[in-house]
Order: sequence, then C-alpha cells, then structure tokens
Amino acid sequence: MGMTLTENEALSAIGLEETVDISSAAELKALLVKSLSAGKGVRISLEGAAYLDVTAIQLLWAAEREARGAGVGFVLEGPIPERISAALLDAGFDKFPITECAK
Amino acid sequence: MASNADQFKQSFREEAREILVDLEAALLELNENAGDRELVGRVFRGLHTIKGSGAMFGFEDLATFTHNLETAFDEVRNGRLEINSELIDLTLAALDQIRAMLEEGAGGAVPADAAACAEILTKVRRLTGATASEPAGDKAVPKTAATAGPVREWSIRFAPGPDLMLNGTSPLMLLRELRQLGGLSVKASMAAVPPLAELDPERCYVAWEMVLATAVGRDAIRDVFIFVEDHCELSIELAAGSGVDPAANAAVADATARGLEEPRAQGGGRRTYDKPDNATSLRVPAAKLDQFVDLVGELVTVQARLSELAARRDDPEIAEVSEEIERLTSSLRENSMNIRMLPIRATFEKFRRLVHDLARDLGKDVELTIEGADTELDKTVIDQLSDPLMHLIRNSMDHGIEPRDRRAARGKRPTATIHLLARHSGASVLIGVSDDGAGIDAEAVRSRAVEKGLVAADAQLTESETFALLFQPGFSTAKQVTDVSGRGVGMDVVRQRVDSLRGTIDVASIPGTGTSVTLRLPLTLAIIDGLLVSVGDACFVLPLANTLECIELTRADVERANGKHVANVRGVIVPYIRLREHFNIRTPLPEIEQIMLVETEGGRYGFVVDRVLGDCQTVIKNLGRFYRHVQVVSGATILGNGTVALILDPERLAADAVRLGRQGLRGHAAGYQAVGAASRLGPGGKRESSQTNAA
Repeated sequence: MGMTLTENEALSAIGLEETVDISSAAELKALLVKSLSAGKGVRISLEGAAYLDVTAIQLLWAAEREARGAGVGFVLEGPIPERISAALLDAGFDKFPITECAK
Repeated sequence: MASNADQFKQSFREEAREILVDLEAALLELNENAGDRELVGRVFRGLHTIKGSGAMFGFEDLATFTHNLETAFDEVRNGRLEINSELIDLTLAALDQIRAMLEEGAGGAVPADAAACAEILTKVRRLTGATASEPAGDKAVPKTAATAGPVREWSIRFAPGPDLMLNGTSPLMLLRELRQLGGLSVKASMAAVPPLAELDPERCYVAWEMVLATAVGRDAIRDVFIFVEDHCELSIELAAGSGVDPAANAAVADATARGLEEPRAQGGGRRTYDKPDNATSLRVPAAKLDQFVDLVGELVTVQARLSELAARRDDPEIAEVSEEIERLTSSLRENSMNIRMLPIRATFEKFRRLVHDLARDLGKDVELTIEGADTELDKTVIDQLSDPLMHLIRNSMDHGIEPRDRRAARGKRPTATIHLLARHSGASVLIGVSDDGAGIDAEAVRSRAVEKGLVAADAQLTESETFALLFQPGFSTAKQVTDVSGRGVGMDVVRQRVDSLRGTIDVASIPGTGTSVTLRLPLTLAIIDGLLVSVGDACFVLPLANTLECIELTRADVERANGKHVANVRGVIVPYIRLREHFNIRTPLPEIEQIMLVETEGGRYGFVVDRVLGDCQTVIKNLGRFYRHVQVVSGATILGNGTVALILDPERLAADAVRLGRQGLRGHAAGYQAVGAASRLGPGGKRESSQTNAA
C-alpha cells in the first residue's frame, strides 16, 4: 500500500498504489483534506492501485462531493484499472466516484 | 509495532481458538446425541465462522479446508447426511489440522500435515458424495442448498455498524459470499457519508440494498452475516412480487433448517448493532493483566508502608488519608484479583476430546463427567493445571479403568466413568480426578518401592504415604510401557507442577471400586488477605480465609492441660501447635499467649502465637530455591516497615505437626531453624540473626 502527493501552484496530484484500505484510510483522508483546503484542483491517479476498499471509496466520494460544492476540480488521471472498476461494480457502486479527466 | 493486518490476524486466531474448543465439545456431545439438531447447528455455525473469518484475514488454506467440513454439516442439517462416529472422528481430526494451520505463522510448534488434510478431505467428500475434482473454495462453490427448491427473490438491506471494519471485517467480502447463493443485484447507498472533515476514515458509512434470487431460505442468507450480525443492521425480506406468500413460503422453504435457526430468525430477521448487551466484554492480552496485577501488588506494599508511617507519626490527618488509601487499595486489589479469576470450565471441557480419543485407542468405553465447571480460580493456576490433569486422566484411562471384559466379570457398568470436580474450600480450590476403575494395589506400590530402594523393606507406611510414592520420579507399577503411560514420568510431572503452585495432592483408593486424586491449590498466587501475628521478634502471616477466631492462652490454662497441647474452646477440645516450639524460637514467653483457631481439611487446630498484630493485605513473594523444602511456608511478604513475614500454610503446618508429634520430634526439627531465621530477615532481606541452617 502507499500513496504519494505531488503539488504545484495549480494542482495537487495524489497517486494511490497497491492496496488502499482501512490501514491507510487516515493517511488518505489527511491528503485529501490538505489538497482541498489549499483550494487547488485535485488529480487522483489509480494506475498503481490494485485494490480499494470501502473506506477508500467513501473518502474519494466525499472529497469529490466537497470539491464539486466548492467549485474545485477533482478528477481522475488516466483510466480506472479494470480490476478496480469490476470490483466496484460487484460492490454496487454504479460508477467510480470521480470522473476521468478529459485528455 | 504490529500492523493492523497482524492485529486482525491475531484477533482472529484468538477467536478461532475459542470456537475450536466449542466445536470440539459440540462434536463430542453430538457423538452421544446424534439427533440433536441444535448441536448440528452449533457445529455448522462454528465451522462457517472459522471459514468466513479465515478467508477474510488471509488464511485461505484454512478457509478452503474448513469449507469442506462446513459443506458436510450443511448436508447434515438439511437431512441429507447422517451423523456417525466416522464423521465425528474425521471432523475432530480436521480440527487438529485447522488448529495447526491457525498457529502457523504464530510460532506454532506442529505445522499442519498436508497428507493428513488430504486424507481427511477425501473421506469427508466420500461421505458427502462430492468428488475430489469439485472446487472446494468459496470462490467457486455455490452452497449446495442454492440448487434446491424454487427460486425466490429476497430484498436485503445491510448497513455495517461503526465498528464492523475496525474488527477486520470487509463488507465487500460478505457481498462476494452472498453472490455465491444466487443472482445478486447490488446498489450501494452513500446517503450516510458525512462531509469529509467529519468522516471517520476507519468507519464504514456505506449501506447496501440488494436483491438476491436464490433457492435458499432466509436462514442460509443470514448465515453469510453470521459473524457480523451483532455489528450491523440487517434485514432480509421476501421481495414484493416474488409470487409467493411470504409466510407460507418461508415456512415451507425453511422447514429443514427451522429447528436450527428459529431462535435467530425471531424478530423479523432484523438485527441492530446497538444492542445494550454489546461491548459488555473486552479482550485484553494476558501480559497486560499480569502487569496490572504486579502494579497493584506494588501499590499494596507501598500502602502498607504508608499505614505504618501514619501509625508511627500519630498524625490524624495523615492517618485519615492513609485509611482512605487503604480502603481504595483494598477495593482495587479485590477487583484486580477478580479480573484474573476464570472459570475452570474450558480447561475441563478440553479433556472430553482426550477421553474420547484414548477410549477409542484403548478399546474402553469411558464417559467423562464434570462437576463444578463454574468454579473460578486464578488464571495463572488454571494455565498450569492442564498438564497435571492430562497425566492424571491418562493414568486413570490406562491403568485405573479395567478392560470391558474385566469390568463385566466384576459386575461393573460397561461404560467406565472419569469424574472431574472443582470446588472451593476456604482459600483453596480442590480439583478432583476420580475413576470407577480397579483402584490402586497398595501392596504392589509398596513392593515396587522396596524393589527400587525408595523405602526400607520393613518400613511402616500409612496408606497415604504409600500412595505418595506414586509421585516419585520414574516410579511405575505398570508391567509394560504403553503409548499412553507406564514410564513413571506423568505422576512426577503432576507432583512437580502442584508443588510449584504450592498445592498438595491427596490420593484415596478402594481396590475394585476406584481411585480419587485431589489437588488442593491456592485460589490465587498473587495477593491474599492475611492476619499478621508475631512470635518473639518474628512475624508470620496466616491466611485470613482459614482463621476462625482468636482466644487467650494463659499459663494457668497450660498447667490445667497437664502439658498436653489442647485447649478447651467452649466445651470442645482443640489441639494446638506452639509456633515458637515448632520453629525453635527461643525468646521469653509472654504471660498470655494467643491461640489462632484455624480450620483445616484435617479438622480444627490452634496456632499459638505471642501477639496478633492485625489483618493485612499480603502480596505473596516467592521464597526461592533456598527454602523450597520448607513445605509449611507458602511464601513471604514485605511488611510496611520493610521487614519480611513468612506466610504460613495452615494445612501443611497442621499435617507436619501431627507427623512430628507422632515421631516425638515436636519442637526440635532442625529444618525449621531456617524458618525462624527467614522470619527475622531485616529490611532488604538482610539477616538480623546468625541462624542460617538450611532446611
């Protein structure tokens, strides 16, 4: 498991890697809160992610809702890995909580 | 520091160990009552929990292996498979393998035996009619019941409680398991997810609305949630428009399972996680508890110093604070001791398996009966009881209980009995192992002892002394060594362990009728209520639980008894033991002495002391190897002024006085000089006396 945060003046980029579950949920929340409070756009990368559990999904969902309310961009960088989108559909999430970034 | 995953695994191990113990007991009961559907349900649920939780916490092999057993018991509860001794034995053997798989990675001594596992699975599959080529794991195997009966649609709402994920459960795994019961459509509801700032990242706020098309009944669906149902909101209802009258449908479809599941199905299939009885118990590592009790022990010692100081200063304000602290310390001590007290049930119950297996191996019919399983004793004592009890039971099964034909010839019941008993007796607990076997041949024991040079050929031994020889290292009267016993090791282990617990062993036997071994053990090994007494300049502690009353002994009383050590207590003659004579303490005799009347197993005795100083909370300290042969002392304690007081064992003291009296040695036992010396140890253990004779 792991996550990275890269920031520049306009954007915060959070990269999620391997398994993101309850053991890293607090860290993910802290990154999301920090990024949103800066008022900058947020990009999430799932390229290195293997599995997201419910805690990660609800955090991303809540962050996206907050960003939308604040008029801040909150988008996914690159495609959602097939293994993750299939698992999310099985778990009853009709779509991933974040829309993909237009290329 | 252990990661969350490691902590969850450890929690699962602890929970699974308890479930395995319960499973073993249920299987052995089922062996006697094959038609008991509640027991079948208990076994099924236990296996299901181990499988489900195991898969969740990364014990994939364990989960796959257990799945096959669960399937077998699912067949049993659905009336498609009969309980027989083969299935019971196979499942018991499987539990041993599950236990080994569980301990792998946790420093388990014996790894699971892959060949034995494969053999068990082959035999279980033969019984259930499954084939080896069938996939075994949850991932691919729909439950058998899913293919039977009409398909109905069930509306399921599942909302995890606040702590569901904290104990390692993954809701997504549950959905996956549910999907194996039939066609599942799932919709996650995010309505309860709070704003990001308020969101507890380790709590699940998502709820699920599902429709499951399946042939299984409500109870089979509930089984998926069996180990989380106290931590979630769950409702399972027949979907509107499923075309079947819900009441009639449920009644028919669940007919086979009703007997097992009815209690849980009450209340419309809905459970909430905020029941008032939730969180009424807490799992705490034993090491933390030991540390807590050690600290309380230290506090008791410091409090004794404070009391001593307050008494010396004669300051009412300090005295008031000291008394308050004494009261609080006493409550804290009682509470901490109570936390350590556990019922002996689990220790006793685990011997059902031993008796079952040994009876099969030895070709004997033996039943185990248990009395006093709720008797509580200190965790440390319980932890050390397993080995001695195991050796006593093995010995009874192998040597005590006769073969079937010999029992029949003697007109005995074909099924022999081993009885385990626990009960409190003052500050002790009595643990008994008795059988209705052949009894002990005292003459054979004596002859063997003479042969081994343990006693002289002309030695006069009481029955009790003769039976005590059985506990000598290497002593055995068995003509041949078997896998079970006969090497003369087991009884020695019993004696050593009981000695280390400061306990005693009593053996009673009637030839042809049976044998009873009683272990007398202290209730606690940590802190007791004591009565502080002095003889000369030495202090001793008598356990308060044994003491009855205190009466005066004047010189006139002594003269009236014509030198006999007896006192007249309201018309009852009570023998007494003068501690100053017994311990060879040579200080001036006070005009009036005190007799502490004490109740022992051997009757009422008086212990004559110079003064009774008062009651005290006594933190028991081990005396160490130097005094290990001084049986009449069960430990030592540090008094408020820093001096050491020996804690006397009234039972052994009385028995010892009787023995010495019989030998005409009362008051002159050189060995007790060591006791006198030890009881005069100054602060920090420094001797104030030059008497250093070892016992």
